[in-house]
Formats: sequence, C-alpha cells, structure tokens
Amino acid sequence: MLLETVLAIGMVTSAVFAIYLKDTVSSVLSLSTMMILLSILYFNLNAPFAAIFQLALGTGTAAIFLLAGDTLTKKSDPKTSTKTILMGFVASAILCVPVIVGTVMTESLTQSVELSLSSALWDLRAIDVLAQGLVVLTAALGVVILLKEERRRK
Amino acid sequence: MDYIILSVTLLAIGIVGLVTKHDLIKMLIAIEMITAAATMNFVVFGSLMQDSMGQAFSILALSVDACVTAVALALAISIYKQLNIRDFRDLSEMKEESSEEENQTVEEN
Repeated sequence: MLLETVLAIGMVTSAVFAIYLKDTVSSVLSLSTMMILLSILYFNLNAPFAAIFQLALGTGTAAIFLLAGDTLTKKSDPKTSTKTILMGFVASAILCVPVIVGTVMTESLTQSVELSLSSALWDLRAIDVLAQGLVVLTAALGVVILLKEERRRK
Repeated sequence: MDYIILSVTLLAIGIVGLVTKHDLIKMLIAIEMITAAATMNFVVFGSLMQDSMGQAFSILALSVDACVTAVALALAISIYKQLNIRDFRDLSEMKEESSEEENQTVEEN
C-alpha cells in the first residue's frame, strides 16, 4: 500500500515536471523517471513482461529517441525559473490529492496472475502480433524514406 | 489502490501538455504520457481479472507507441531541417501564409 502510494505520487510529480520544465532534456529525464516508476508498478501488479517492455521501450527507447530528436533539432531552451519549479510542485501536490484519497479508500488490486503470456500472445492474438510486425516494418520504412528524402534534397 | 484515478490524472496532465505546449518534442512527450496512461489500464484490468491478455495488449501497445514516436520524430527532424522550425505555431502560420498567397495568385489569374 505504501509502495503504491509513493509510486503514484512520484509518477504524478514527474509527469507534471515533464510537462512544465522548459528545458527539454530535463523534461525527457522526468518522463523517463515516470516510466521507470510505472514499470515498478507493473512489477508490483505481477505483470513482469509488461514491466520489462515498459522499461525497455517506454523508458529506454523513447528517451533515446526524444534526446536524439532534441539534439538534432537544437534550439536554445530557456532556463526554468524557480517560480516555475515551485508552481510545478504546487500543481503536483494538488494532483496527488485524488490519488492519495483513492489509495486510502480502495483496496489493492494486486493478485497473482498465472503467467501464460506466450499462449495469450501466440494462440489467441497471433494475427495481432503479425500485424504488429507489419506496423513496425512499415514505420521503419517510413523513417528511412523520410530521412533519405532529406539527404537527397541536400 | 484505485489505479483508474492515477491513470486519469496522468491522462489529464498529458492532454494539458498537448494543448498548452507548442514545441514539437514537448508535444511528443505529452503523447508518450497519454499512451502510458492508456496502456496502464490494460495491465491493471488484466491483473484484476487474472488474465494475461492485458499484458499481451500492453506489449502490443508499447511497440506501436515506439513506432509512432520514431515516425513523429523523423517528421519533426525533417521539418526542422527544411524550415528551421520547432514550434507548432510557426508551422500553422506558414500554412496560413501559403494558403493566402495561393488565393492571391488565383485571384490575379
């Protein structure tokens, strides 16, 4: 219960700072913190596969993509003032209230889940997995075409 | 714990960020947050119903989300390289200006 509350408060606070910080690198770091806390929450919910995917894709890949994008499209980020940081803390404190109230009023959902993920993925959702592979390949092709077009223009 | 409240809070923060921020990277960060909030529901309800399908759906959603981020970033980089623009408002202004110019040329012809 305490761990869940701490995780929820940390997630809301880091989410607020990911939006309100003016420096993009700090925003990406806040978002990564939120994603790490989310993956810990998934572990707590007995969803280890989702947690590992969240850690690998949500935290690692997304952070690398966003930092690379920020580096390649560099602009001078204004510094975040102390007033903005204080406003962020106030906003996150306000937003944490319903989360804490929800924690107190309801019981934990954490239950043991039988790990039959492979059967869920391959037996029941095989077409989805194949379609997802197609989506990933199409996205990769789209990125290559976009960046190659740019190089050709140069 | 009522995870729905947490999910809705994260969704609200993401939507506020998407509406108020105009930097393309910041908008992507807000979109990431919205998708994380939505994906959380799959895992929570899967855990509640003791079903692995929630995890399976969350894995599919996370992979597609990474693809979306990659394509959106490639578009942002392409826009920046061509127009030197990272602000969404500048793009909208350029679009309005170009449509006005097109209208003027049509009227002149």
